[in-house]
Amino acid sequence: MISLQHVTKIYKNSVVALDDVSVEIEKGEFVFIVGASGSGKSTFIRLLLKEEEATKGDIYVAGKNLAKLTPWKVPYLRRNIGTVFQDFKLLQDKTVFDNVGFALEVIGKPKHVIDQRVPEILELVGLGDKINNYPDELSGGEQQRVSIARACVNRPLLLLADEPTGNLDPTTSVDIMRLLDRVNRIGTTVVMATHDQAIVDAMRRRVIELDAGKVIRDQSRGVYS
Amino acid sequence: MFRRFEYYLREVTSGLRRNGLVAFAAVSTTFIALLLFGLALLISRQVNLMIEATTGNVEVAVYLSDPVNPQTVDALTQKLASLPAVANVTYESKAEACAKFKQEFANQPGLVQGVSCDPKDNPLPASLRVKLAHPEEYSQVAAVLGCRSDGTCAQPGVDKIYDFRGLLDRLFAVTRVFRVGVLLVALVMLIAAAILIANTVRMGLFARRKEIGIMKLVGATNWRIRIPFLIEGLFESLIGASLAVLFLFGLKVAFINPLYGKIQFVPWVTNSDVVAVIPWLVVAGALVALIAGFAGMRRFLDV
Repeated sequence: MISLQHVTKIYKNSVVALDDVSVEIEKGEFVFIVGASGSGKSTFIRLLLKEEEATKGDIYVAGKNLAKLTPWKVPYLRRNIGTVFQDFKLLQDKTVFDNVGFALEVIGKPKHVIDQRVPEILELVGLGDKINNYPDELSGGEQQRVSIARACVNRPLLLLADEPTGNLDPTTSVDIMRLLDRVNRIGTTVVMATHDQAIVDAMRRRVIELDAGKVIRDQSRGVYS
Repeated sequence: MFRRFEYYLREVTSGLRRNGLVAFAAVSTTFIALLLFGLALLISRQVNLMIEATTGNVEVAVYLSDPVNPQTVDALTQKLASLPAVANVTYESKAEACAKFKQEFANQPGLVQGVSCDPKDNPLPASLRVKLAHPEEYSQVAAVLGCRSDGTCAQPGVDKIYDFRGLLDRLFAVTRVFRVGVLLVALVMLIAAAILIANTVRMGLFARRKEIGIMKLVGATNWRIRIPFLIEGLFESLIGASLAVLFLFGLKVAFINPLYGKIQFVPWVTNSDVVAVIPWLVVAGALVALIAGFAGMRRFLDV
């Protein structure tokens, strides 16, 4: 699913975000990327989306070499990748339904597909009764569920989550992790960057630890440190 | 297809609502720019009409004396056409001259009624219309027909020769200055309109940067993101163009219509001349909007 081969990323201000990183992630895996702030977790995620380009090395996502992907093909790559962020990135002037439907609408899916899939996925994330609410009427955990629903509504092969529990209290975080686990069990590969120790320790999944841009640990069924 | 259309329509109208004031500025600048552009086009049309009426677009007219002998016409045509200075010679019969006169002054009934095209009392002379390949060698034509400086000629069958070069030169010089002036102002206004449209596009992009960010994340193509903004700019400039067309019609009705028939021998622009200007305004407006749209979006949409 994902392959990084000797990837180095140096930003314009000569900050080295990733330094000779090689990682293989198989289809269907659940992987935590852990490390302190500035260790390169977010860069890792951004590289997989081709929001940034590697300075050196090769990155393959879903069989595609990202360096060779022409700009007009990038949107089609992203249609196979769901993304979830710490700040939810929901549109405040749209209802829950429209926020999730938006992801399908802007890639040109017809209305009957939207009308079918959006309630389905909202039911799955446990928000079947909040379809017509606006984001500011929801709790943080519920908003994150909406954003997970939006990320999954197009049935992506890969879900990237950058600190998805960063803004949530511990109990809500556990709920969100259950949901991500469920998404993973239906076959979606999940890569989650986090520094939430309790969650990593509880899940017992593969852990890749970054420090100053280098992989210092890659452990299956690992703990935070 | 319909769904996509509906999507774009919704995006465009919400965009226009959001930055109403800037959109208004863009529309009014486009309006003024296109109005001036249309004005310049109509002025040159008016001047061309006047030139057409006075000279028939030839540089030298050789008027033949009545009655016209067909053999003389052939002989003179050949004689003139063989001169190196002459590009072409066309014969205009009395009947043709009369028909043309009536057509040119169709909106001045007083003038037309006084002229009869009946062969017996048609007052208009037959002529050879000469277009020169080298206008500066006019003297060749005058010499071969034995014409004097007052325009009368020794050649039998020729009544008079008339040299329009001086008149044409003066008309062209005056109108060129005028037309270039108006076009320059129109150009400056069009550039201002383009900057304002680019600005509305940019403000729209800024106001919706969060939405655009999400669209990019979920894999919307760049065109999907761009098209609503391009249509928005296009819409603004086309409203400007429509206003300009309406205004041009208004100006024509207010200032040209009262002149119909007032000044003898001068034809005026008609409604169909104004209609003929519309495509130019629309094309100019659309081009400005598209260029401005792309300029406004540059760098903003890099993946």
